[in-house]
Amino acid sequence: MNLISKLTLFITLSKLAIVLLFILTLPYLIGGIARTYTDYYLRQQQEKVLDVVSKNGVESYLQGEESYGSYTMLKEEYISLEPVAKGFSIDTIYTDERIIEQDTLNYRVLTHSFPADSGTYLMEVGKTIDTIDQYNRPLQRIATYVLLALILITLVVDLFYTRYLLRPLGKIINTKIKNRKFPFNENSVPVQTSTTDFQSLDTSLISLMEQIHEAFEKEREFTANASHELMTPIGILQNKIENLMVEPEVTELVQLRLIGMQTTLNRLKRIVHSLLLISRIENEQFSKKEFVRVAELFDDVLDEINHRLSEREISLETNLSKNLELVNVNRDLLFQLVYNLMNNAIRYNKANGSIRIWDQVNADGSYEVGISDTGIGIPEDELATIFNRFKKANQAEEAAGYGLGLSIVKSIADYHKITIGIISEVSVGTTFTILFPEELVDMVE
Amino acid sequence: MKVLLIEDEKTLAYEVEAFLKKAFYICDLAHNARKGLEMLGVNPYDFVLLDLGLPDLDGLKVLQEAKKLNPDAAYIILTARGNIEDRIVGLDLGADDYLPKPFSLLELQSRMQAISRRKFNLNTHELDLGEFKIDLQKRTVSHSEKEIELTRKEFDLLSYLLLHKNRVLTRMQLCEHIWGTFADDDYDSNYIDVHIKNIRKKLSAFGPVEWLETVRGVGYKIRKQ
Repeated sequence: MNLISKLTLFITLSKLAIVLLFILTLPYLIGGIARTYTDYYLRQQQEKVLDVVSKNGVESYLQGEESYGSYTMLKEEYISLEPVAKGFSIDTIYTDERIIEQDTLNYRVLTHSFPADSGTYLMEVGKTIDTIDQYNRPLQRIATYVLLALILITLVVDLFYTRYLLRPLGKIINTKIKNRKFPFNENSVPVQTSTTDFQSLDTSLISLMEQIHEAFEKEREFTANASHELMTPIGILQNKIENLMVEPEVTELVQLRLIGMQTTLNRLKRIVHSLLLISRIENEQFSKKEFVRVAELFDDVLDEINHRLSEREISLETNLSKNLELVNVNRDLLFQLVYNLMNNAIRYNKANGSIRIWDQVNADGSYEVGISDTGIGIPEDELATIFNRFKKANQAEEAAGYGLGLSIVKSIADYHKITIGIISEVSVGTTFTILFPEELVDMVE
Repeated sequence: MKVLLIEDEKTLAYEVEAFLKKAFYICDLAHNARKGLEMLGVNPYDFVLLDLGLPDLDGLKVLQEAKKLNPDAAYIILTARGNIEDRIVGLDLGADDYLPKPFSLLELQSRMQAISRRKFNLNTHELDLGEFKIDLQKRTVSHSEKEIELTRKEFDLLSYLLLHKNRVLTRMQLCEHIWGTFADDDYDSNYIDVHIKNIRKKLSAFGPVEWLETVRGVGYKIRKQ
């Protein structure tokens, strides 16, 4: 889940929780406020009565009667005075039932005892719960509505603002991370934002990419220059040995040694050649304007490599469609790619084994060529690294090869946006597939 | 034949010179473009071997200048740059061949020989080899007017050995000539041996082939007076 969805979810849920909490506590809150206010009101009524009593005496209420009682028309409130035993003392507010003229009603009741004239009197002031609570419901409803409206407004504002706030981040991710391809050749444009965090994220990403790009460029340059510089001394050595070989003083033994040196030198030459080739491909020094028919390409490769097939008595079955042409490719590079794969298929095959070359046009218009051998196969744990430079598959095998053949294949494939696939089973065989994207494939008559 | 080698890497130049002298060429050296053009202005040369990576002038410019001074010479470009573009431009500018560094001296001689045949039309197309006649131009081998069928690679092998007659050629050198950069690392394998065996088999049906010698552990050579 990305940041914006998480934030949206969090904001919505937290606001919902607040609303829920408020709605749940609202009755208690409003009830509490009403009760507190009622109690205060009852106390005020008590003060009034006591005021009257202290001024005019308790008789102004009793008027000769034993006790006094009075209530409003709808019995919402009442007041009563009656004598109690001397020394009796009470002062409390509670909720209780009172029966007034056959009506049983719930009242909030204040009970207070006070001395007056010669005795002690008990005063009760009451207010029906119904009157107390009569505004609770509408109050609750209004409060809820207001709250909901406020929450809704803040929610919308929050969501829009976070979206606006996070937009540069999305831009950074899209332009700097998602849609960038190693080695980040294109220049980066800084993302416009006033948020300093994003600014520093953006600038560090840009500088990181520049560093990577620079390091990669340096490595490329180094490979090209180093290989190039190595060629001259290799050439000198090679020519020196060639001249030395025919010197009359050179004995047969020395000659054999010289051949050994030549072989080693040649190996060095081949490695440097391969490295140069890879660096040239990576430097995009090859044009991709040629076209080639796949069947012809394989024929040419086989022409070059046939002697190896017959030497190892490997049978070959070729089944390639003739009316397919690859366009916008480099013929020499594709030749090299096919050559290296074919060479591997022979090299790592068993004697008397076989190689099958097949192809298919996929539903999406891409074109796939497969080279299946009956060779020693590649262990699963080595599959991931066989395209690495100087990584030799089948280490145990005494096969020659300096681990650059498949690296070259990879570079050429990457350069053409070709995908190379491998399926392999140890001691059963390996299938290399070359998947040409649709834009390289052209049907011809 | 007079050769001018324009090459700034002196050690390399001396090796090429030594080799060419042994092959009976007369060889002059120039270590920079200025000197080379100067010499071209004074002396006629049959071959100009031109390194493209000279310190004082761009190699392709030198080629243009040199062609003006001596249009009849054959030009072979030597370069470590190895760009295909360089090669195309070089050949467009009138170079006769192109040899990427590092090159084998034997290959250099073979190219020069081929140019000689083509360009100077020397009468060395037909060579005698024992009872056989080899026509390098038509690429045929015959025995008393009867043509013997050899594959392209077999003929290449035979003519390369013949060109460097009386010199042992290693399997690696032969491989490199036949398969170029696609020569594989496993020289010990018997591809070359198989080809030689086939050549011997085809030829010996007509006459003796004792001139094609196997040098144990080293390679092959053609012995010829």
